[in-house]
Amino acid sequence: MRILVIEDEKKVSKALKEGLEAERYEVRVAADGEAGFLQASRDSFDLVLLDLMLPGRDGIDVLTALRGRKVTTPVFVLTARDAVEDRVRGLDGGADDYLVKPFTFPELLARIRALLRRGRLDPTRKLQHEDLRMDLGARKVTRREQSLELTGKEFEILECLLRHRGRIVSRELLAREVWHVGARATPLDNVIDVTMVRLRRKIDDPFEKKLLHTVRGVGFFLGARPE
Amino acid sequence: MRSPRLSVRARLALWHAGVLTLIVCVFSGAILLFVRASLFEGLDRQVGRALTTIDWVYHHEPDEIGDLASESGIALFRLTVEGKLQYQTEGWERAGLARALWNPDAMPPSSWAAPNGPWYRVQAISDPSYQIVAAIEETPVRDTLRTLAAMLAMGAPFAVGLAIAGGYFLAGRVLSPVGMMADKAREITAESLGERLPVENPRDEFGRLATVFNDTLARLHDSFDRLRRFTADASHELRTPLTAMRSVGEVALQAPLDPGKYREVIGSMLEEVDRLTRLVDSLLLLTRAESGSARPVREVVELAALADNVAEQLRVLAEEKQQSLNVQAAVHVDAVCDPDILRLGLMNLLHNAIKYTPNGGAIHVRTMTTSIGLPSIEVQDTGPGIPAAHQARIFERFYRADPGRGSDSGGVGLGLAIARWAVVANGGRIELESEESKGSLFRIVLPGT
Repeated sequence: MRILVIEDEKKVSKALKEGLEAERYEVRVAADGEAGFLQASRDSFDLVLLDLMLPGRDGIDVLTALRGRKVTTPVFVLTARDAVEDRVRGLDGGADDYLVKPFTFPELLARIRALLRRGRLDPTRKLQHEDLRMDLGARKVTRREQSLELTGKEFEILECLLRHRGRIVSRELLAREVWHVGARATPLDNVIDVTMVRLRRKIDDPFEKKLLHTVRGVGFFLGARPE
Repeated sequence: MRSPRLSVRARLALWHAGVLTLIVCVFSGAILLFVRASLFEGLDRQVGRALTTIDWVYHHEPDEIGDLASESGIALFRLTVEGKLQYQTEGWERAGLARALWNPDAMPPSSWAAPNGPWYRVQAISDPSYQIVAAIEETPVRDTLRTLAAMLAMGAPFAVGLAIAGGYFLAGRVLSPVGMMADKAREITAESLGERLPVENPRDEFGRLATVFNDTLARLHDSFDRLRRFTADASHELRTPLTAMRSVGEVALQAPLDPGKYREVIGSMLEEVDRLTRLVDSLLLLTRAESGSARPVREVVELAALADNVAEQLRVLAEEKQQSLNVQAAVHVDAVCDPDILRLGLMNLLHNAIKYTPNGGAIHVRTMTTSIGLPSIEVQDTGPGIPAAHQARIFERFYRADPGRGSDSGGVGLGLAIARWAVVANGGRIELESEESKGSLFRIVLPGT
């Protein structure tokens, strides 16, 4: 999977490159709009990560030019300006998804995976990690054959964690996928934390092996701690 | 007079002078006409008297008629009897007054200009048998009038000049408060907004102007103060996580640590980043709201459903503190507002209530219609209440009734500010009823359908 990162801020592009390479993506970096446009139209990529505020040629312009050239590579827009107009312009210009800076890396990874997966149906009705089983159709959760009573939100959080098992799930992702709230309101973070504590009480506390972990300052993940 | 280059003072002086000039001209003309009329009346009386004397002498002492000129000073007359010239004075002939008699019958007083220059006032009395015509020279009267006119004509420009000077001086006097106000206003800067313009008489025009200006200054002062406070608070709130990040990072770099410790340190720094992000997001929301670029949509919202939904979202927080969270939702309370913004506002209000209510307390959320039929939502808690002194400012950004209770409870001090914005943006208002140690009641009142 090849990803082109068009980003002028060196620290950010370096972090993106290293982070994405750790996830086994092949990453190219372009430091301004012109170079990014040339690379994206010349080489083939599976995804373009595009910053909107670029020196020389701005991101929207690059995006429009790419789409004008019939380049259909999915484009993921990153924008520092949390302005609705920007988002609308970006999506109208042919962007497939966007994230507002500062974003969390797990969130970005999750969205990239979703974008690359797009088009492929996910028929999974049953999720499993070790002895934790989840039946989405019957809305049943068991661990070591023991049935667990989960509330609606706890169920959805667990589903989200299981779908991304082994990877960090950020609060943003949970807010969006479970609570369907785009912008994070302060109270929601507390709600997520409390719900997570309760979920942990149910799926981990009675058992010796802990499956649900918190990564301080980043989010949560289910599974073995990635070293 | 509309010329923008002239000062108000000069314009006032010019208007003043113009009006005064007009008055002087009209007045001078009137004087001239009046004096002329009365002088000519005097002349006519004189001629009339002369005619009476001649008439008397002609009837009683006809022989004496030749002496009249020398004895009575009646130098210009003529007597005709039966159409024939009986007598005429020497001066009469010399002045050529014979030609003035175009009307041989009795004639009213009239002026006649002799061909050689002087004007004469001529009057006659007639009888079928005789006619007497007398005249008197108008020169002295005309000289007097000419002198008067000359004096008036010379005086008028002088009066006008005086009027301009006086008007300019008076206008300066009258406008001097304006100059003083301008000077004073120029001295007032952002640093000295506490100063005020002097108000000498609050009831006159300038006093009212100064009062209005002072009111504006007061409002400006107030908003500057708030901005200054906000900047100080905001930089404090921004500096706190930055300080935490810096010190945590620096301490971690002092000595080599094992990976687990590094993970802890980085995690702790990321938490601060999270806090900063939340702060910036909230500030951005409020700033955008204030600049008016966030345009709320207008749709009919069922308040009961919204209140239920928000309460369900936050219920876990109340449960953690063993609080009872009750929703009493009257059905069919509809409001016209932006549901997302209102939800955000209510969420912040309810979160605030949960945060400040002690463990085991009770929180009530009610939707209802007010006595005048407006849709409203109440959030009542059994928290410590808000002292009256803080109630007016509790909705300000970063304002905390208790300075000791701050970031440790997780908030950034913007929840109520966001709540108020959310309600005001929807055309509603937010009310607070609170008493110390008796809890608080926040009431959102929205426009009806």
